[in-house]
Amino acid sequence: MLHRRSWAVPYLLLLPGFLWLGLFFVVPIYYLAVTSLQTGDFSQGYTFDWAVGNYANAVTTYSEHLFRSVRYAGAATLIAFVIGYPLAYWIAFRGGRWKNLLLLLVIAPFFVTYLIRTIAWQTILTDQGPVVGVLRDAGFLDDTGRLLATSIAVVAGITYNFLPFMVLPLYVSLEQVDKRLVDAAQDLYASRAQAFLRVTLPLSLPGIFAGTLLTFIPAAGDFVNATLLGTPAQFMVGNVIQSRFLVVLDYPQAAALSFVLMSSVLVLIVLFARLLGTEKLMEQAR
Amino acid sequence: MSTAAATVSRPRRSAGARAWALARHHSLTVFAVLALAYLLIPIGVIVLFSFNDPAGRFNYTWQGFTTEAWRAPFGVPGLGDAMAASLQIAALASIVATILGTLIALALVRYAFRGRGATNFLIFVPMVTPEVVLGASLLALFLNLGVARGFWTIFIAHVMFNISFVVVTVRARLVGFDRSLEEAAMDLGANAWTTFTRVTLPLIAPAIFAGGLIAFALSVDDFVITSFNAGATVTFPLFVWGAARVGVPPQVNVIGTLIFLTAVGLMLANVLFQYRRERQAKGAA
Amino acid sequence: MTERRRDYLTRRRLLERAAVGGAAIAVPSWLAACGGIGGGGNGNGDAGGDDDRTPRNIQISNWPLYIDIDEETRRRPTIQGFMDEYGVSVNYVEDVNDNNEYFARIQPALSQGRGIDRDIMVLTDWMAARLIRNEWVEPLDEEAMENKGNLVEALQSPNFDPERRFSMPWQSGMTGIGYNPELTGGEVTTIEQLLTDENLRGRVALLSEMPDTVGLVMLSNGDDPSQVEGGAFERAIQTIQQAVDRGQIRQFTGNEYSGMLARGELAACVAWSGDITQLQLDNPDLRFAIPEDGAMLWTDNMLIPTGGHRYTASLFMDYVYRPEIAAQVAEYVNFISPVDGAQEEMRERDEELAEDPLIFPDEEMLANTHIFDAEAADNQEYREQFQTLLGA
Repeated sequence: MLHRRSWAVPYLLLLPGFLWLGLFFVVPIYYLAVTSLQTGDFSQGYTFDWAVGNYANAVTTYSEHLFRSVRYAGAATLIAFVIGYPLAYWIAFRGGRWKNLLLLLVIAPFFVTYLIRTIAWQTILTDQGPVVGVLRDAGFLDDTGRLLATSIAVVAGITYNFLPFMVLPLYVSLEQVDKRLVDAAQDLYASRAQAFLRVTLPLSLPGIFAGTLLTFIPAAGDFVNATLLGTPAQFMVGNVIQSRFLVVLDYPQAAALSFVLMSSVLVLIVLFARLLGTEKLMEQAR
Repeated sequence: MSTAAATVSRPRRSAGARAWALARHHSLTVFAVLALAYLLIPIGVIVLFSFNDPAGRFNYTWQGFTTEAWRAPFGVPGLGDAMAASLQIAALASIVATILGTLIALALVRYAFRGRGATNFLIFVPMVTPEVVLGASLLALFLNLGVARGFWTIFIAHVMFNISFVVVTVRARLVGFDRSLEEAAMDLGANAWTTFTRVTLPLIAPAIFAGGLIAFALSVDDFVITSFNAGATVTFPLFVWGAARVGVPPQVNVIGTLIFLTAVGLMLANVLFQYRRERQAKGAA
Repeated sequence: MTERRRDYLTRRRLLERAAVGGAAIAVPSWLAACGGIGGGGNGNGDAGGDDDRTPRNIQISNWPLYIDIDEETRRRPTIQGFMDEYGVSVNYVEDVNDNNEYFARIQPALSQGRGIDRDIMVLTDWMAARLIRNEWVEPLDEEAMENKGNLVEALQSPNFDPERRFSMPWQSGMTGIGYNPELTGGEVTTIEQLLTDENLRGRVALLSEMPDTVGLVMLSNGDDPSQVEGGAFERAIQTIQQAVDRGQIRQFTGNEYSGMLARGELAACVAWSGDITQLQLDNPDLRFAIPEDGAMLWTDNMLIPTGGHRYTASLFMDYVYRPEIAAQVAEYVNFISPVDGAQEEMRERDEELAEDPLIFPDEEMLANTHIFDAEAADNQEYREQFQTLLGA
């Protein structure tokens, strides 16, 4: 695995995955790009005519939805990080022989479908239920206040459903931290907090980056949580794309909006990576 | 190791500091357990409602306790098959995606090749593409290739969107990987292949396992892309979403619970088995 | 015409078989690919239906849990009965979970004139109308259907298929008002009340199905939803928008409203009759009301997609139009049976169900129901306006 290896090795390693993605992802994306530059509607058919206007229209008409998606996804990622980091830390450092079982428990909610677990949450957070009751009594909600059908519910839903995607990469990175480094720092008179901040946290940075990506990126495109847990005021870009594509049958607009979403998210990712320092995140430390 | 030296040089702490340390030590555990409970609360509700006894077809409010659904868990035709299909596809897709993704991660992290920057970047794109348009485009492709939609097209689609997730997960591990171990192995005469299988692979195994879990979870829960490319195959999410229109029977809860328990049970058995093996190895030593 | 379609069919079928390995179809396929995702337009390839009149194995696409099942034997009695009688096998696939999603799935193939490996699919009125209009369905084999006359009068001539040449109703339902008198503090009998009553603020939901919601509001506004004209649609949208702005409407839902009503998050909503029947079994307080200005009547229809086997599909439709079979289905499904005589059969099976007006509504009830203008349901501009109202 050293650089003395032949030049072909990386390409050989990439080949199988790239063939798969090349055929089953790139080609469909090409179709999507072609569609995004068409005009027309369902009854009259669609024609390709370099309709760049679709993109301009997407950005102007749905800018509110785009910002909302970024806000919700960002909030959800942050909360998932706050909940997920200690959990991942605990599993990595204290899990012992139970690590794999604990990780399994983390993704266990996925065995029952999204719809069923959302219904379960709705049962818990319903207006007439205990949780809302307590919040009303305690004054956090007024007498007709509710948790469901609010932006809180939507963000909570997104957070819950993407939490495993934050926990697992964090775990991957934390598990690798050599405990002896932490011990060494404490030997050198660092407090536990300092040892954590100066040793563990920086070493887990690749995991933080990975977890953020795996949470934020899909969350930005999410639509189900807003549909089931929100009102029209909470609808995200994903809802618009879903609606344009399935109901209005405006395929070109849906496609163009998809690309706008994709570019926005990718730009944000690049900025984030720059912020954290790309070399540490994506390349082998030498 | 360094413990003897460590205890000598570590400063003695006051009782208060030790108490604080104890509280802090446990606070992490408490927090983590709460977080885990948060993740599993819906499962608790789901298990509970599998014992519900609604007179109608909807399973929304608690009506009474019964084990009826548990006595005929596969009573609803199509439900068992849907779950079986979901699990099979998820198992296969996660294995394939993990292999392909790990290879890509290795290439990206360890080699400086032309197009590396672009590749790094492009790995993100499948994750950010909205499922509805991706599913429809993939369907258009399958139609144009004349491929019949069904089990295998779902499998293909799942591997496709899982690869990126595996790459990102495994890469997090590879980035901080200590090469010196590999170099040591090679210095001791191991060739590249042996080094890889005996040194590298075991060390990144947790990341591969985590990547596989993510891929499995994504696959077993996928709805949108699957619905486009499923043909006549019905997966568990497809069945449930459609059933919700007239009422999700408690058997759905039962099957969900069974799968959860089976997975946990298998993992538990594995842990205990490993434990016994270690005990025996220690005993023998 | 039949002759020519047959020839084209054989040639096309051969070509399709060669497609897997063959280059013969590659060029036209890639040209089609350059057309992007949307097919659209009229079905211009005519892979005609199979005109062979021997029963054959068929595939049926339906909504989940929309046919009778026997939990002990894990079978579907109606399907089993059909298979036994005609000696064919039926692959019954419950993969329709949403009209729009199903359409998105079948559109690419049908728009290119290809079949979808199904012989029967069950879709709601306005979607059936779209498919018929685009000629993506096969005509029924009426000679095989002696029970066709059992279709109830109210459903015999919908405007999208006046002679029922392409579709037969599977089940029907009414859209009206579902409410919980405990939470509303009384009766809710008009859409206007639903949209303006202060007491109900924030605890009302409307359906995200355009024909249902807009239809009811149009009736409330005094307009006729079966012929959408003038500014009627816009007026309805305005009315709803005002309610949304006022905070009256909690959400626009699909069938999730049933859970919300059951749990008490909603006091009243636009609801489907069959759902309320089911919810009432657990909460007898819940009510279904036909709005004073009228309710909407919707139907899920059996259709034969392009390439389906007309004869066997028609045989199946005929089979489920036998009153005793229709009663068998209705006993389990609990929606409105479209078959005359099913009610009598039901009396022998379950007295209570036979007298349930939500399963067997009487003339008077049906007189106050309306079917939404199928053409308007498919108007892209209208759809767009409604979706914008919904927030997307």
